[in-house]
Amino acid sequence: MLRFKLNGEWIECEAEHNETLLDLLREKLGIKSVKRGCNVGECGACTVLLDGRPVNSCLLLAPLVEGRSVETLEGLRDKPIMRELIEAFVEDGAIQCGFCTPGMLISAYSLLSRNPKPSEEEVRRAIAGNLCRCTGYVNIVKAILDASERLRSED
Amino acid sequence: MEAKEVFERFSERESFLVIGRSIRRFDALDKALGRAKFTADYVERDALVVKVVRSSLPHALIKSINIDEALKIPGVVAVLTARDIPGENQIGYALPDQPLLNDVKVHYVGDPIALVCAENEEAAFKGVEAVEVEYEELQAVYTIDEALSEDAPRIHGGEDNIAVTTRVRKGDIEEGFSKAEAIVEDIYETPYQEHMYIEPEAAYAIPEGHNKVTVIGTMQSPFLVREKIAGILGWSLNQVRVIQALTGGAFGGKDDMGPLVCAKAALAAVKLRRPAALIFDRDESAAYSVKRYPARIRYRSGADAEGRMTAAEVDITVDCGAYANRAPFWLWRMTAHAAGPYEVEAVHVDGKAVYTNKVFGGSFRGFGDVAMHFAVESQMDMLAEKLGLDPLEFRLKNVLRPGSRTTTNQLLDHSVGMEECLRGVAEASDWWNRRRRVKRTEGKLRGLGVACAHHGISTSRGAPDWSAASLILNEDGTFTYRTGICELGQGSQFGHAKIVAEILGAPLESIRVEGPDTDSTPNARPTHGSRGLMLGGSAAADAALRLRSRMVKVAAEMLGCDEGDVELRDGRAYDRRRPENSVSFRELAREMYIRGVSPAAYGFYAPPRRYFDPETGLGVAYPVYTFAATVAEVEVDPETGEVKVVEVWPSMDVGRAIDPLLIEGQIHGAIAQGLGFALTENLIVEEGRVLNPNFKDYVIPSSMDMPRVSNVIIVEKPYRHSAFGAKGVGEPAIISIVSAIANAVYHATGIRFRTLPITAERLYRALRGEKP
Repeated sequence: MLRFKLNGEWIECEAEHNETLLDLLREKLGIKSVKRGCNVGECGACTVLLDGRPVNSCLLLAPLVEGRSVETLEGLRDKPIMRELIEAFVEDGAIQCGFCTPGMLISAYSLLSRNPKPSEEEVRRAIAGNLCRCTGYVNIVKAILDASERLRSED
Repeated sequence: MEAKEVFERFSERESFLVIGRSIRRFDALDKALGRAKFTADYVERDALVVKVVRSSLPHALIKSINIDEALKIPGVVAVLTARDIPGENQIGYALPDQPLLNDVKVHYVGDPIALVCAENEEAAFKGVEAVEVEYEELQAVYTIDEALSEDAPRIHGGEDNIAVTTRVRKGDIEEGFSKAEAIVEDIYETPYQEHMYIEPEAAYAIPEGHNKVTVIGTMQSPFLVREKIAGILGWSLNQVRVIQALTGGAFGGKDDMGPLVCAKAALAAVKLRRPAALIFDRDESAAYSVKRYPARIRYRSGADAEGRMTAAEVDITVDCGAYANRAPFWLWRMTAHAAGPYEVEAVHVDGKAVYTNKVFGGSFRGFGDVAMHFAVESQMDMLAEKLGLDPLEFRLKNVLRPGSRTTTNQLLDHSVGMEECLRGVAEASDWWNRRRRVKRTEGKLRGLGVACAHHGISTSRGAPDWSAASLILNEDGTFTYRTGICELGQGSQFGHAKIVAEILGAPLESIRVEGPDTDSTPNARPTHGSRGLMLGGSAAADAALRLRSRMVKVAAEMLGCDEGDVELRDGRAYDRRRPENSVSFRELAREMYIRGVSPAAYGFYAPPRRYFDPETGLGVAYPVYTFAATVAEVEVDPETGEVKVVEVWPSMDVGRAIDPLLIEGQIHGAIAQGLGFALTENLIVEEGRVLNPNFKDYVIPSSMDMPRVSNVIIVEKPYRHSAFGAKGVGEPAIISIVSAIANAVYHATGIRFRTLPITAERLYRALRGEKP
């Protein structure tokens, strides 16, 4: 029996030794915001937070999250930083097909949690592992910078 | 009522309610919250997992298919082959050359042979490994030249490996060249490009009681998917219900892949009477799905001493790969755009598409015009240089203007903003100063390049095109709008809603859009050819106009005024002369239902007819063209050969901007895809095998690769025959960026690349004297 914290709540579930965290989340736990784009850690669509750091859940074997904290968009969407990011993504046209969006938001959330005032270069670097084929990243970068500015003006 | 009427009645308004403004699109929030559902998100845990058994050889006869061992694997429920197909085993698009499952012959590495249906993925994979296929290998053909050689094996029988040919004969070519002061000739080759949408192909099929199946999938043409599934099952269209799930990027590829994937899932679900899901793995998607067609273009063109184009002679060969698929349309589009967005008196074009034993090509943003313009725009630069003219000045002398005639001698009488696009980017980039100024900085080489593009909207070859939509005024004054146009990321459906809102004076939030479901949505035909907004939106306008006239009639009676005095605004009907006198849409709706006035409207739109003479290729190739221009500045590192695109200045004549933010999004995305095609995306195919079917080795741009993108310059030259004058915007931007980068690389280094991509390795070698 695997025990870990999912979106702030401790849960227990069965996990095969060779099951990835992505499979566990999507197929067994019904967490569908986590997307499968490549299954080999190259596209970033399955990004989740593990103890607050972004990881590709398709590369992580589920048993390794024992006792640790996993967060997805379902658990993060009401946090102030994420709310501001979501608002900015919607407002700035940072979302087209939306398939990369949850992973992108999680990488952006992780950045703004650590660095409230990132430069454009830092923003680009933070999402370099999240591929998007629709937007050319232009409005995504803009949205993350806008969110960071709004968060600071709220302080 | 016609879209023309919308144009006349509404386009002359001084201000619009929602048209022309950037408004937050209504589907963005669900996507941002992770609630948006894509195909894989619908799949229930008890669904059968379907995996495809594929050919391991590029060209072979199938001697036998043995499924016995596969069936012994625990969890494998069935293995389906061609003999399990109840209808016709044929899924070719333009030509009937493509079986859904092959049992006679395979034509490329990856050709589908069987479907393993299993309780779980592991069993399905084991099942695929266990199916034994015995082949008799045939000689394979990998290149255009091999395919055209006398003794080449005939891939699909027939006399040769040519799938289709095209031609244009406009003007006297000899006379044209005799007037030329400068003539240049070269051969250009463009490679495959893989779509690499982040969501792989997927379909989920559910059997529904007696002889009906529902298929949820990622696609661009739900009604084509329905037709193909019905053909495979031997059923009528109304036995198949196709629902387009939100689609995670498509770019043309899912137009072609939708039917192929959905038909396999549907076959499994119907044969086994269980829900079945077929979801491609990334490597499967990248290796075996359609790609941008490779092409080779021999181009000879000339201009006179004043810098006017006089002649262009163009020979096009498209490499189809294993099946023709869209090649007839792709080739026709290249042919009809062969002179580029320039007025050229004499144009001769010959085109052919040939079969090879490689993964087949198909739809991809720009649809042939990327390759065609790469040749055209390289030629334009070379001619300018030979004549001692600035390349942008040279283009300005020749661009299509109102009154110009195209490659096919089509008269363009209005909606021609090529010159304004080009002047726009020249000014924004400070072209003439910057072009002189850019040079060596800190050991790096800098260059500035320009390119133009034109792209006919709607389908090619004069194929009939039309669109439909429906609109219902609900009892509470809200609206339900249905369209068969797909949401792929581009936001076309939101554009339709804005058109409806503008015509009805309805708050945007009171309009709910229901996307494609073939059981309830009108057939809007495919979401391709940049037609989603222009054609789909014009059908929306037609529906809104029809409903509007009924609403106005009833409102006039309720308000006791003339119909001409009724104004619809903010969800209310006003008496214009006594604005305090008004009724809400809720009250109006109630009254319409009580009086028995239909609250629903079906909208239909067909653009003006297109036609051409098959002998000369002359005629009206497309109803209208979208124009674009791009300036790009690059920096080349001579130590590594790496090209960095520093800044891009884009412009586009969109007819009318329905939503500037949506247009900007399309242009940004196209710049990224074009940048990848020009510089890094290099699909390696050896002996018919794709060697790099993954994001690590097939490099699409990341956030680190994107240049600074200057404000998008939107030129508005409205089209008279579409709602509000809008033209399609999805494709044109990828056409001009590719050539602008290649021309900038030349300006920086003096090296002209006639093949793409310009990888660091190729440029490094070229800088050291090797032939580029």
